[in-house]
Amino acid sequence: MNIKNIFYQFKEGLYKTRIEFTNRLGLLFSSSKDKTDFLEKLEELLILSDLGTSATAEIMNEFQQINFKEYKENNFIFFKEKLKVILIDILNSTTSDIKINEDRLNVIMLVGVNGSGKTSVAGKIAYRLKRINKDIIIVPADTFRAAAIQQLKILADKVGVEMINAKEGADPASVVYDGISAALARKKNIIIIDTAGRLHTKTNLMNELEKIKRVIQKEANGWPLEILQTIDATMGQNAIAQAKSFNKSLGVTGIALTKMDGTSKGGIVIAIKKELDIPVKLISCGEKLNNLYDFKVAEFVEALLD
Amino acid sequence: MFANLTDKFQTIFKKIKNKGKLNENDIKNYLHEIRIALLEADVNYKVVKEFINSLHEKIKQEKISESLTPAQQIIKIVNGEITYTLGYKQNDIRMNPAPPTIIMLVGLQGTGKTTTAVKIANYFRKKGHFPLLIATDIYRPAAIEQLQVLGEKSDLPVFSMGRNESAVNIVKAAINYSSKKNHDMLIIDTAGRLHIDDKLMDELQEIDKNIPLQEELLIVDAMAGQDAVNSAKVFCDKIKVSGIILTKLDGDTRGGVALSLKTVLGVPIKFIGTGEKVDNFEPFHPERMASRILGMGDVLTLIEKVETAYDIDELKKMDKKIKDHNFDLNDFHLQLKKMKDIGSVDQIMDMVPGFNNLKNRIDVAKLGDREGELKKVEAIISSMTVEERENPSIINGGRRKRISRGSGTQLSDINRLLKQFNQIKEMFKKGSKQKNFSLN
Repeated sequence: MNIKNIFYQFKEGLYKTRIEFTNRLGLLFSSSKDKTDFLEKLEELLILSDLGTSATAEIMNEFQQINFKEYKENNFIFFKEKLKVILIDILNSTTSDIKINEDRLNVIMLVGVNGSGKTSVAGKIAYRLKRINKDIIIVPADTFRAAAIQQLKILADKVGVEMINAKEGADPASVVYDGISAALARKKNIIIIDTAGRLHTKTNLMNELEKIKRVIQKEANGWPLEILQTIDATMGQNAIAQAKSFNKSLGVTGIALTKMDGTSKGGIVIAIKKELDIPVKLISCGEKLNNLYDFKVAEFVEALLD
Repeated sequence: MFANLTDKFQTIFKKIKNKGKLNENDIKNYLHEIRIALLEADVNYKVVKEFINSLHEKIKQEKISESLTPAQQIIKIVNGEITYTLGYKQNDIRMNPAPPTIIMLVGLQGTGKTTTAVKIANYFRKKGHFPLLIATDIYRPAAIEQLQVLGEKSDLPVFSMGRNESAVNIVKAAINYSSKKNHDMLIIDTAGRLHIDDKLMDELQEIDKNIPLQEELLIVDAMAGQDAVNSAKVFCDKIKVSGIILTKLDGDTRGGVALSLKTVLGVPIKFIGTGEKVDNFEPFHPERMASRILGMGDVLTLIEKVETAYDIDELKKMDKKIKDHNFDLNDFHLQLKKMKDIGSVDQIMDMVPGFNNLKNRIDVAKLGDREGELKKVEAIISSMTVEERENPSIINGGRRKRISRGSGTQLSDINRLLKQFNQIKEMFKKGSKQKNFSLN
């Protein structure tokens, strides 16, 4: 796939986010009377972007020392560059992608709270990997939500990949067990597991996920296991609690940030990065199967401030 | 619910209590702490600003800095401000005097519209209505099936016409259909949509213009961030949103959205969703919620829940059974079920004043596993004969083995259940000997 192309699409997807943010940045300077006024507006902008109070405080610190007059004279390019550096620094430019091992079964499991977009992302990942000729099997381990299995089946058919059968109400761990057996028997390259949405505070439901992980580790021992947590970009600071809790139970290997096509600023990425060291790997914005992108720090910040 | 914000407020209040008399500088510091607590809870930036200004005004007016016990006064003021911010009074659904009452649910993707539709229908059926659910999400794969399955599980009728008809036509056909079936309440489940998706917003406007709706309820995820008010605002601009339902309040959301929406939109929160079960749904009471946020419990809701779970006749019957020493395993089972209806242990603890603090110190998860226990008890009791249930003393070793096989539980589970039952019976015996013992 052409990286430049993907980036272009990604930027298009983030269009609303960017317009919102840069409009406000421009206003920040043209309408600020003095430094105090400017700092207050900057704080407002950062908080409203869901950066959270601690990341905001850190950025505010960097700006406490500025010579306001000089900044104003030099237009806001100065300010933007400074903000860019700070954000890239917080996000730490090491990116990590989903790595697919060629000669063995790769397990990708999707977890997250209700309505964060697991099933859609499962379909999108399948679509993406199918396009680079991977042999995929999908496992519907969300046996709880009504019609979740049908939803995934429709997506699987659309992508043209195989999905194993499961009954609503079945034990999800046993569905996963069946899925892995099928994947091994049919010599599949990738298995994508969609799980039921659950609030991170429900201990019994988190235990259920731990059990699924144990089944995977037992049956697919030593094979690459990617546990991706979907996080809704419109979430507030609660997303940090979500990430913490899923990470504690499962050891989340990456985050897929969903619903980035709204007007939300996606600042939660920065808050999560600051509080936890889980890399954001994928960004999903749009309802089409190809609306899934790798997360690249520099490009994300660039797109945000461009 | 709101545990984090509650903790923060209690810490701040404690500090104020310990401090005693406050000077202007102290007040400024505490206001700053309250401000950060609210921002961390995702309360909208502008709402926080207004809230803090208003709080500061009142603190000045009441001359808190001269008070010797400022903490009490500040708590009272904060309580009043939060109640006001949440909407002041409870708001009911507007009923159509000439039924049917038509309710449309709208919102972003994944906020819980479909689940909420079934919960509302279930809630009003209990109040004597005959609701019909209407499936109009013709976009998301299997969305219609989801509503059908959920409706079927709760024994609620669902109207659908597949994915080839427009939403407004489906609603029109449903109205037609419902008049023949005498439904007095129609609940329209719509597709989740982004507020900036003009095509899909047009679809809502079309329903809004062509269908006589009593309520257009916006479903909002309680965990949503700062952008929640923006998207909600667009919904309010495009259609006549008459109320809000907050969902997923059973997580550890800090509830900032709850505090932001009324102020920014001027639209009241009408209901809240508090769990995955169809019964986890209650009217929103601002004053009670304020009390919960400040860690002062919500006894009124608890009493109401107990009242719905038990009716007076049942209580009298049970009372008589206990007095006559006729309390058997059937009754025991029934009582356990009732307890479950009232709520899980951590839900109840949220409502009892002061218990909120306790919650952090005990493993609520272990207490909360009553459901698993209850399932076992249900299995065990169902595997008994009628005779055994009425007279548990006849359950000997052989019978125990049979029950264990039948219910798929361990012998020790059965022994434990019988022991518990005997203890309770013993307790009742002692109790009924006392003169004033009565359940009424």
